Amino acid sequence: MTLEIGTPSRARVVQIVRAEGRLRVRIDGASRPVDAVRVGGGAWSLLIGHPVARSYEVAIAESAPGELVVYVRGRLVPVTVGGRFRLRRRGATAAGAPSGPQRIVAPMSGRVINVLVKAGDAVEARQGLVVVEAMKMENELRAIHAGTVREVRVAEGASVEAGTVLVVIE
Amino acid sequence: MRKILVANRGEIAVRVIRACRDMGLASVAVYSECDRGARHVRLADEAFAIGPSAPTDSYLRIDRLIDAARTSGADAVHPGYGFLAENEVFAAACRDAGLTFIGPAPEVIALMGSKTSARHAAMAAGVPVVPGTAQPFAPDAPEAAIADEAARLGYPVLIKAVAGGGGKGMRLVAAPGDLASATRAARSEAGAAFGDAAIYLERRLARPRHVEVQLLGDLHGTVQPFVERECSIQRRHQKVIEETPSPVVSAELRARITSAAAAVARSVGYSSAGTIEFLLDEDGRFYFLEMNTRLQVEHPITELVTGVDLVEWQIRIARGDRLDLDPAVALTPRGHAIECRIYAEDPDAGFMPSPGRITAIGAPAGPFVRDDSGAEAGSDVPIFYDPMISKLSAWGADRRQAIGRMQRALGEYDVRGIRTTVPFFRWMLAEPSFEAAAFHTSTLDELLQQRQGESFSTPNEEEEEVAAIAAALHEDASRAGRVLLDPAARWVRQDPPYVAPRGGWKRQARVEALRS
Repeated sequence: MTLEIGTPSRARVVQIVRAEGRLRVRIDGASRPVDAVRVGGGAWSLLIGHPVARSYEVAIAESAPGELVVYVRGRLVPVTVGGRFRLRRRGATAAGAPSGPQRIVAPMSGRVINVLVKAGDAVEARQGLVVVEAMKMENELRAIHAGTVREVRVAEGASVEAGTVLVVIE
Repeated sequence: MRKILVANRGEIAVRVIRACRDMGLASVAVYSECDRGARHVRLADEAFAIGPSAPTDSYLRIDRLIDAARTSGADAVHPGYGFLAENEVFAAACRDAGLTFIGPAPEVIALMGSKTSARHAAMAAGVPVVPGTAQPFAPDAPEAAIADEAARLGYPVLIKAVAGGGGKGMRLVAAPGDLASATRAARSEAGAAFGDAAIYLERRLARPRHVEVQLLGDLHGTVQPFVERECSIQRRHQKVIEETPSPVVSAELRARITSAAAAVARSVGYSSAGTIEFLLDEDGRFYFLEMNTRLQVEHPITELVTGVDLVEWQIRIARGDRLDLDPAVALTPRGHAIECRIYAEDPDAGFMPSPGRITAIGAPAGPFVRDDSGAEAGSDVPIFYDPMISKLSAWGADRRQAIGRMQRALGEYDVRGIRTTVPFFRWMLAEPSFEAAAFHTSTLDELLQQRQGESFSTPNEEEEEVAAIAAALHEDASRAGRVLLDPAARWVRQDPPYVAPRGGWKRQARVEALRS
């Protein structure tokens, strides 16, 4: 089986051949001897290389159809499977120009303690829009891209549920 | 004293319950609705429901906590930290109900809980305070009076809430033009957070360090200070890394600052565990900042360098034992200890809280590592409470060894299902300014500003390749509809061909035979 695996920096072609419990792995054309054994807690121990083998503990969770998170030695690596490279790197500029209005949603239930913009305001990327308090912490929600505030749907003091649209930016 | 009710939750409740068990005392946990299955509930001998999940309906309900203590027959209450730990009304309610409150007297909590009266107490004990307003400004104080005072102290000036804590109701004012709006903002924030809009002004010191002194006082007038803790690594006025001893405090400065802390505590008749916080300026002068009349989050590092169990001593002091520690043990650090506060926050999303279910957790252990945690696989991090899930501490014979062990422990810390601040700490401990101990209370905020939201979790080429291989194996197995769930699953490498040692010997023997 040959798969296109998307990792944060680039896509990789991985070929897996299994026969009678024996395994052959090629990645980007290079052969990688792999010995994989299931260990506790949903994790795998991988020994990669031969005769010198690097040892890795990995765990895999499906985050969405076609998207996995792989924990490599405790570090989280987001991965896509099957040629769909919808990679979202935080902090980096998203691939392609922004399309459609941005809907800034509450990431969790909490209380709105500050609304920093009003309809018609021009905002820059990463500009603070709304401050929501939850878990004793104040969280400033920011614009992803520059634009104009079309709508502010909450007022200071309001309680909001996770997923509530707070601000719409065009 | 036979049975203690622990009026808290999470990792600190676990810490106190363990101390009870160490001493052969029974423990009583309390829990809100969402904490029914929590670890502190299962570790305790008894547990009582105290209401819905919102803290104001459960962990802050004095009446229900007192009821639970009475029903269980507990004779003492430990408040932990946070919630009601510095609430004099709760301490008094315990006393009135005939329960021993494991902490200072309610009058002392009230005195030191007000920042301005605490400053007076420090000055009366001959300890320098940050130059500031002698009396708080009433909510209707004229703006001109505040402006005069600010001009007298000199800009930049800090506006602080009298009842403040955790950076709330605090504003930095750089120039006179910003004073009025900052005053309004601080008052409104303080009023909402503490129900008290009183404020005062303090001069802003340039690049200060936060150095604090842990102490214990007994009911017989003995106060023992401990080696100082360095807590300058803060994000928005919240400590994230603490260490002891401070890399910049000499033995001579330690003697002066610990004596000053003890003098303040003695002057107010302090008992139980408490901490006096100081700012240390670049010239080595220290100023009283405030007193915390409770156990601190960072108490484990003091325990690691002194071998003194602070929670056990809180309990012993509360039952009347005399504090008979050797002062040299308390004041001479044995090695170096560091603590990282592990939060359920996503450092790649501006440290946004990341509540949810922990699907798996691999906590570090091994030589000289201590993990005080309330979390485990299958447990939820609720949205209602402080998002700290663990305090990870490491000890070394010196600072360098402690940092190395902390880095090792952070490397092993594996939490799945939610985001945590572990990736941030892996970065921070490798920062040159941290390794060189060249930092002050704003250093971390400045470093984060410079990063402009850059991810702490960017995997390297090796990790990406391993992840791609693992993902391909996973996908291959799930499409084949087997293997993955087989606990004994094993795939053996085929390329290059697997060569058994015996075969190797045979081939070697053939080669040898051909040669001869």
